[in-house]
Amino acid sequence: MSSAKSPALTPTDLHDTLQAALIEVGENAYFVFVEACDAGAFATLAEQERDKAHGAVVTWLMASVRFSGAFSGSVEIVLPERLGRWLVSSLLGMTPDEELPEAQVFDGVGEFANMVCGAWLSRVGDQALFELKVPAVTRMAAEWNPVADGRGREEVMCRMVSLNDSPMRIRVRAQ
Amino acid sequence: MNDTKPLNILIVDDSATMRALLHRVIGLADLPIGRIYQAPNGLEALKILETCSVQAIFTDLNMPVMNGMELLREIAKRDSWKDLLRIIISTDGSKLRRDEARELNVDLYVEKPFRPEVVRDVLCQIASADAH
Repeated sequence: MSSAKSPALTPTDLHDTLQAALIEVGENAYFVFVEACDAGAFATLAEQERDKAHGAVVTWLMASVRFSGAFSGSVEIVLPERLGRWLVSSLLGMTPDEELPEAQVFDGVGEFANMVCGAWLSRVGDQALFELKVPAVTRMAAEWNPVADGRGREEVMCRMVSLNDSPMRIRVRAQ
Repeated sequence: MNDTKPLNILIVDDSATMRALLHRVIGLADLPIGRIYQAPNGLEALKILETCSVQAIFTDLNMPVMNGMELLREIAKRDSWKDLLRIIISTDGSKLRRDEARELNVDLYVEKPFRPEVVRDVLCQIASADAH
């Protein structure tokens, strides 16, 4: 992917545009405060999710959006299911006591990833056309640990952020 | 505004969450809204347009079965739909896509993510143009 992308964009530009896309989506559509964090802060936030779960197993969702065009790859977002549920409730203006069906949580988290991917690609390649596939959202296995999850050979970049003090990781992978 | 004919609206998006959001935002606008129809793709949208009276369509672009641009091309072919107001709501804000939309007589192009007041303002523009 790195050889196919616009030569005008440096790796720093790509990171900055991804961060800008996240902030735009998080703050404009979901009304959350998005703050960059490093691997250590991400691990701490992930650990704190256990406290927030009050002894229950912390489940994580992974939303992935594949894209093709001037270059191809995927944007992959990992977040605690609790945060995903909260994001969708916030988007729909629901009260905390309203129950969200699982399908709606998955659909809403997929839409979050779709918006981040689209907003990022619009910044990276305004002069290029991209096709985005329907987001795929999966619940990770109960023992899955986002901190121990390796980057994989095809990772192009990775950002870790805090959304209202909850962890989220975004990876861009080349295809 | 009260004597304006209620506006029937069609929302086309493969995400049920986005359809629910748009439905809610449209409902918040202080405008006479008639029926709000929903479709998960362009093909289902065409079926609704064939059988229902719709004045404005809000459509996403990236959808399975029939995408938004394919839907708009079908709408452009039909003379009886020439007055239908066409609003794209998409994550794709590229210049090329906007140019393509302009050629298909799209009235407004709204990029996701959007603030609810943007959709409300779009509806006010439509109502205001309708009243003149």
